Amino acid sequence: MIAQNFDYLTPVSLAEAFDLLNDPGAKVMAGGMSLIPMMKLRLAAPERVVDLRHVPGLNKIQQDGAMLRIGAMTTHHELESTPLVRAACPLLAQAAAAIGDVQVRNVGTIGGSIAHADPSADYPAALQALEAEIRIAHRGGERTVLAKDFFQDTFTTALEPNELIVEISVPLEAKCTGASYQKMLQPASGFAIVGIAARVSMDGGKVSMVRVGVTGLGGSSYRAANVEALLVGSEGSAADIGKAAAVVAEGIDANSDIHASAEYRAHLARVYTARALSAAIARAEAQ
Amino acid sequence: MATTITKLDTLVGRKIKRKEDPRLITGTATYVDDIQMPGMYHACIVRSPHAAAHIRGIETKAALELPGVVAVYTGADVKDVGPVPCGASLPGLRVPHHHILAQDRVYYVGHPVAVVVARDRYIARDAVDLIEVDFDPTDAVADPEKALAEGAPAVHPQWPDNIAFNYHQENGEVDKVFAEAEVVVKQRITSQRLIPCSMETRGVVADYRSGEKALTIYSSSQIPHLMRSLVAGMLGIPENKLRVVAPEVGGGFGCKLNVYAEEALMGFIAIRTGKPVKWIESRREHMQATIHGRGHVDYYEIAARRDGVITGIKLKLIQDLGSYHQLLTPVIPTLSVLMMPGLYRCKTVRADIVGVFTNCVPTDAYRGAGRPEATHGIERMVDILAAELKMDPVEIRLKNFIHSDEFPYATGTGLMYDSGDYTKPLKTALEMANYNELRAEQTKARAAGRYMGIGLSTYGEICAIGPSPATPAGGWESATVRVEPSGTVTVLTGIKPQGQGEETTFSQIAADELGVGFDDVVVMHGDTSVVQYGIGTFGSRATAIGGTAMYLAIQELKTKIKRFGAMLLDSDDVSYANGRCTCNKSGKSVSLAEIAGAAHRAMKLPANTEPGLVASNFWEPPNFTFPFGAHIVVTEIDKDTGAIEIRRYIAVDDCGKVINPLIVAGQVQGGVVQGLGQALYEHGIYDDSGQLLTGEFMDYAIPKASMSPNIEMASTETPTPVNPLRVKGVGEAATIGCSPAVVNSVVDALSPLGVRHLDMPLTSEKIWKVLQGGRA
Amino acid sequence: MKIHGSHALPAGAARAYNLLQDPEVLASCMPGCEKLVKVADGTYEMKMKMVLAAVSGQFDGKVRITDPDPPHSFKLVVEGTGRIGFMKGEGLLRITPGGEQCTVQYDGDVHVGGTIAAVGQRLIDSTSKLMIKRFFDKLCERAAAASAP
Repeated sequence: MIAQNFDYLTPVSLAEAFDLLNDPGAKVMAGGMSLIPMMKLRLAAPERVVDLRHVPGLNKIQQDGAMLRIGAMTTHHELESTPLVRAACPLLAQAAAAIGDVQVRNVGTIGGSIAHADPSADYPAALQALEAEIRIAHRGGERTVLAKDFFQDTFTTALEPNELIVEISVPLEAKCTGASYQKMLQPASGFAIVGIAARVSMDGGKVSMVRVGVTGLGGSSYRAANVEALLVGSEGSAADIGKAAAVVAEGIDANSDIHASAEYRAHLARVYTARALSAAIARAEAQ
Repeated sequence: MATTITKLDTLVGRKIKRKEDPRLITGTATYVDDIQMPGMYHACIVRSPHAAAHIRGIETKAALELPGVVAVYTGADVKDVGPVPCGASLPGLRVPHHHILAQDRVYYVGHPVAVVVARDRYIARDAVDLIEVDFDPTDAVADPEKALAEGAPAVHPQWPDNIAFNYHQENGEVDKVFAEAEVVVKQRITSQRLIPCSMETRGVVADYRSGEKALTIYSSSQIPHLMRSLVAGMLGIPENKLRVVAPEVGGGFGCKLNVYAEEALMGFIAIRTGKPVKWIESRREHMQATIHGRGHVDYYEIAARRDGVITGIKLKLIQDLGSYHQLLTPVIPTLSVLMMPGLYRCKTVRADIVGVFTNCVPTDAYRGAGRPEATHGIERMVDILAAELKMDPVEIRLKNFIHSDEFPYATGTGLMYDSGDYTKPLKTALEMANYNELRAEQTKARAAGRYMGIGLSTYGEICAIGPSPATPAGGWESATVRVEPSGTVTVLTGIKPQGQGEETTFSQIAADELGVGFDDVVVMHGDTSVVQYGIGTFGSRATAIGGTAMYLAIQELKTKIKRFGAMLLDSDDVSYANGRCTCNKSGKSVSLAEIAGAAHRAMKLPANTEPGLVASNFWEPPNFTFPFGAHIVVTEIDKDTGAIEIRRYIAVDDCGKVINPLIVAGQVQGGVVQGLGQALYEHGIYDDSGQLLTGEFMDYAIPKASMSPNIEMASTETPTPVNPLRVKGVGEAATIGCSPAVVNSVVDALSPLGVRHLDMPLTSEKIWKVLQGGRA
Repeated sequence: MKIHGSHALPAGAARAYNLLQDPEVLASCMPGCEKLVKVADGTYEMKMKMVLAAVSGQFDGKVRITDPDPPHSFKLVVEGTGRIGFMKGEGLLRITPGGEQCTVQYDGDVHVGGTIAAVGQRLIDSTSKLMIKRFFDKLCERAAAASAP
């Protein structure tokens, strides 16, 4: 469990980080919770590791109008425990709390996790449901990508080489909106076998807005627009939920491994979609 | 005038915090990897990625050219080192020659092929990647039943049937009993491969002093003395020129009850290079190359009367041995056979074991070693029989228990159960669980369409292993007890704790017996140049046998103490208590410190008495001990997902006299959680080509604290007549009792669907498939 | 591990069959393929570099095409060995014509060994699907480009 030799570089500004990342042998590291194990197993052997922890300004959490702006280097623990996040965007706090174990949450970061784009990671489901905006910087510029366009496939994102995630923005939860993240965890790794994030707004006894994000089921996280379409405008009854949840896995080539078959994953996606929607509606109605 | 001696509070039986813990929880204990020596080299091992392959060549040039690399050794260099030893001697046993590095073939993923020696461990690891081994893969077989099939690839070409041994044991008129049985139930029951996962992996440091021709091996081991005898033999050096030190050992669970290739390999390197060398096993190596546990496919048949009385038990046991025999590999399934009748009176038994070679890492002792498999089998079969006869699982057990007035009880498998009162823990557990109310709740739950299960196991086990005739290398244990000149007490014990806490329990016993303070006793172990020969810690034996040896040494020591006391008090009528020797006539007394001082200063000696205060005892136990208990598990199945919730876990264990309830509780908690691991999560999975698919904690699921239920515990105490401490042993008990209780509970929950048996691990998906109407 | 699936190609069956036998085309479509050299009829030597997330590994291997039945089907055997493990895949590719288009169906078995098998079980399925998808996406591009006027 010993990595190959590598240079460890700690830029103190984004500009310096971009300089260092010009080197094709360089790999950026945020919390290192995925990179370091892979290096120790020698599945990854970067010549240079560029650690972003000393780049200032990347771990702020701030409210900006109707948005909550989260620095890419914010740790899972900060997201699960910061009162502002818990109040203004409980879904993100729930997803953060569902990650791995305490040690991982103390070190791992949201930017690192989504850049890695593990198909079973917890954040992507929440970010899909939140229609999060991911602000990406490169030398001399920035662009913003929506979560649905950011997560492309297994370990594949819209991020280009020499680009860095600097911030993730999510909307402040509106009134009469409830959210829930529900996952079945794989007992060995704690990753999601499936994880479902749901946000629902209720207006006059009807579902006025619903967003469903899915992780773990296929090669990439996705927003289940078909589920949303079936539920919006309904009363959000158990029957409505059941009908909508039933289509969550449609058209998805579900993953299969020693922990869960494709068939079981698809079934779990339906069950957990219904559970997440029920919990979200109950919360929305409680407001 | 006689003086009344007031007995101070004794320590035995009290909850006393472990004296080991401060160093363990503050990170100040000394493990193998903490040992640093000037000029020490580091070794890293090249292992086979193939389950079966010929080695056509090994190219080491690039590795040797890497600055800092000292040497690379391959099979050819070590072919004269003796084989990794197998301690079993079953009739007709086929024993493949187990070289410490592969010769021309590899037999499992993880098989050591070469070793790099370098100036630091980083260079050594880098050099491993520079070694090119030209493998020619061949067909492998990883499943014991497939290995037995016609035309299966031969693991060892000289034995194309893949059979290492057949073993048969029988008692009573088995055929007649089964022919005449009113009811017979049959079931195939598996006990899957488990990976031990001790928190500290293995590790070895070897240090050779060429002038003295003396080798020291530091190894994370449960058996330093046996290792000394065996490794000396492998390396061809005199046993008294080898010192083995097992420093702090961070868990073993049986996987360190072994002698591996690496101990001899490091010894070889130290002798060859003249420098100390260290090898620390990585977690991946641990998963691949340290023994696995279990690996059973069992075919059970039970004959019974309609009233529930069991009349006969048949077992065909297919043991997945892996590719080689480690120290006790073939012995483990024979322990299952000994234990197969469980707590029940049935003496008509037949067992046939087939030991099968597979292209996997060897199996060997893992917490319980053969007894969990047996207990799982009989406890499942009793439930299956109860279901067949529509009897309550409690009732059928009570009907078949050996009665408390029948001990000592000779079993049909050749054991003599020492003592027991099997209804006692069962009744306690039933009361704790409020069993009748639980059953009433279950009836309601079922009516509401819920799947609630109540499962129990009443287990027995073989502890205090064991009398020497029943073991491959001596089953006694040793102790030396010294009173130092200052009056403090040093105990040298032949056992080797790996977390069981005997520094504490032995101190309690010694402090009580000698009337000294708990902190005045130091218990030393694990260093063959400090401690007299001993056997080690395994088979829940340390306190029952090692503790007894210490107790008996103390009794002898007390005689000598009294002789010195009598001399100092000038009396021939003295007694010894509370750390003082008192003249029964005058009431005058001297302290142990004064006596110890006098015994070492030796200005004057009692008649026929040597100076000093030391006594040794090598105790041969007359029998095993047989603890028992009852576990009750309440489960509820999430019918949408198949997930199992452990609603309640009740463990009542009877391990004889309890020395320290805190330590017993710790052993029970840890044991239950490890049992839950097998019941629900853990499985060392090899694919058909012999690739280990669960090679890391990302895929091999051991239970975490967050996955562990609250365990409601109680003890009953049925002392053993086998030893004067009356203790039986508890290190493996809860693991043995756990898995059948959990599976019985889940099967009970699903019984309305017609489910009769489920094999472990009970993953959510397996349960979901059952709920879907399929069979797992 | 069993793999199966199908992809549409913007090419007639005969041309699709030929594209799938063309070492230059295969080399350009196989993710990470750096070199594909014909060593005998239907046998090619391959060098590839797999890069996915932080994982990167060099593989040396062989590609063999057997049981040719143009333009309907052939068998593809891919073997690769590298520091991080080895793999062997064997599959039957069937081409169903549909005028200007065709559908390529594959059905096979993949065996993975070494480090990736021991520590990557969770990800082998989704990763191999990704690789196959990338292959066919590239192949579509090639087919479309070649058929463009």
